[in-house]
Amino acid sequence: MSKYLEISKIYMKTQLVWRADVIFNMIFTITKILFAYLLWGMVFQNTERIGQFTFHGMLSYYIMHSFLSQLEMSEGISGEIHDRIRNGTFSKYMVIPVGIEKYFIAMELGIVLFYIVFDFIAAVIWFFVFQIPIPFAAEGFMIICGAVMTVLGMLFMVQLNYFLGLLTLKYQGIGTFLMIKNNLAALVMGSIIPLSLFPEVIVKMMQLLPFYYVTYLPAMLLIGMCKEEAITGLIVITCWCLIMQLIISMVWKKYIRKYDGVGI
Amino acid sequence: MDHTIIRTENLVKTYRRYKKKEGLRGSVSSLWKRDYEEKTAVNQVNLSVEKGEFIGLIGPNGAGKTTLIKMLTGIIAPTEGKIDVLGYYPNALKNAFKKQFAVVMGQKSQLFFELTVNDTLRLFKEIYEISEEDFQKNKNYFVELFGVRELMDVQVRTLSLGERMKMELIVALLHNPKILFLDEPTIGLDAVASKQIRNFLKEINREKGTTILLTSHYMEDIKALCKRTVVMTHGAKIYDGRTEELFEKYQKNKKITVSFDEPVKCIALKTFDAALMENSPYKKVYEVSRQSAKDLLTELMEFGTKDIAIEEEEIGVIVERIYQEGSDCHE
Repeated sequence: MSKYLEISKIYMKTQLVWRADVIFNMIFTITKILFAYLLWGMVFQNTERIGQFTFHGMLSYYIMHSFLSQLEMSEGISGEIHDRIRNGTFSKYMVIPVGIEKYFIAMELGIVLFYIVFDFIAAVIWFFVFQIPIPFAAEGFMIICGAVMTVLGMLFMVQLNYFLGLLTLKYQGIGTFLMIKNNLAALVMGSIIPLSLFPEVIVKMMQLLPFYYVTYLPAMLLIGMCKEEAITGLIVITCWCLIMQLIISMVWKKYIRKYDGVGI
Repeated sequence: MDHTIIRTENLVKTYRRYKKKEGLRGSVSSLWKRDYEEKTAVNQVNLSVEKGEFIGLIGPNGAGKTTLIKMLTGIIAPTEGKIDVLGYYPNALKNAFKKQFAVVMGQKSQLFFELTVNDTLRLFKEIYEISEEDFQKNKNYFVELFGVRELMDVQVRTLSLGERMKMELIVALLHNPKILFLDEPTIGLDAVASKQIRNFLKEINREKGTTILLTSHYMEDIKALCKRTVVMTHGAKIYDGRTEELFEKYQKNKKITVSFDEPVKCIALKTFDAALMENSPYKKVYEVSRQSAKDLLTELMEFGTKDIAIEEEEIGVIVERIYQEGSDCHE
């Protein structure tokens, strides 16, 4: 276990190397908050509520969702695996005594921890400066469910991107797969507008997909909404993680023999 | 008692590769019909390595050296044949197996370029589950041996190629591997750095008893380090024996390059088997048999030479000669 902790630490240290990146990342947290404040401020000028959201509810959703989306950075994993398989340096992971998937999970954790710490500090400072009242979930149950779901959602995305990266062993290019995933994820994760504003039948369909539980539902739970979906949500995302793990093992066993490491 | 730690029998690796006809037309037609060809990179190789040996693996580009190393380290799976390294089938990629060897590939780094070497070493301490005591002992040993103490806390990206290769070796050797696979460790290094690396490897093999399998294009590496050499070409092993014997038997000539202060038009040589390869007033290049090299040098010294360089024959020439002399595999 300590080896994976050290992997997380080393990637966290890597994030801290470039001081300008750290500072600008903290400063730019405000742009999203300001953008949300201005946009939804204008939309709510003539109305009290949109769907089940008040102005502050919408602002909270937007900020919480942005924060969680910012933490979801696993796309780099598929890119890294793809590049390394293509140029033959994937062997770097194969010759050291680690589980390669676990290595990537630990790597992601290290990067995410860095952003959690620094973005959280930045967000608190900005909330304080702009005196934005944010209604968070009052119930511990919902906060715990939201937090656990966030972890499982992130894990699923790491698994998905790891799986897509491994497909390079079979297919030379994985651009199409990534494009499909990105488009589907952008829609179902509720990055544009809260999914609850969609027709019910569409939302029901989206609830079958894992992306629904990556940022959208955790964000809703953390701002005190969708309590009735908490338990089923946890079950669904856990099932998706297990299914994805099974698929990864099958793909690894089947395709690792195709890896040629580039060059004779 | 059997000290064999690497054993392969009739090992074969075949790659399937896609062939495309030239031009745009070929690219378009490849959309629905593709031709593939099989390339045998390693062909029926039998190899047996004993504990503590220092073996050189040489051959021209595409000979199959790197493929063989990749199979021995489990990076790729063999197509046919038997393979056993430290009692494991390498491509099973068991952690217990991976803890017992290390691989350094000249152009593939294990270091984190943004961080310091100390950071990477700390990571590898955990990855290989090395106790703090052994970690400190090994780290200090290698840091002293390589003379890099002042470089341990600087960013890897700021190191020179030679310094970086030393760091790669420290990272690789930290867990006291039983086998060290080295693929072109001196590639791109200058003469001084190459010599230093060679000295370290010799020391590690002697002091720690580490079995080392080295591939290199540089004859100096092989000559200075390896008691035994395996020569490969077109995927097959064509020589496996003492390095000394290989060079005595097959490295017949030396290349001597002389430059002059004053222009020298023509030199009538007494040394009968010296062939003039390049001729200009200020520089002449000769190929001469090893036996006559001394005589040629003595003769050339009389012409007021400014500089003399003596080079060994390239691997390709030796491989060709082994082929020509019909020397098959002699074990």
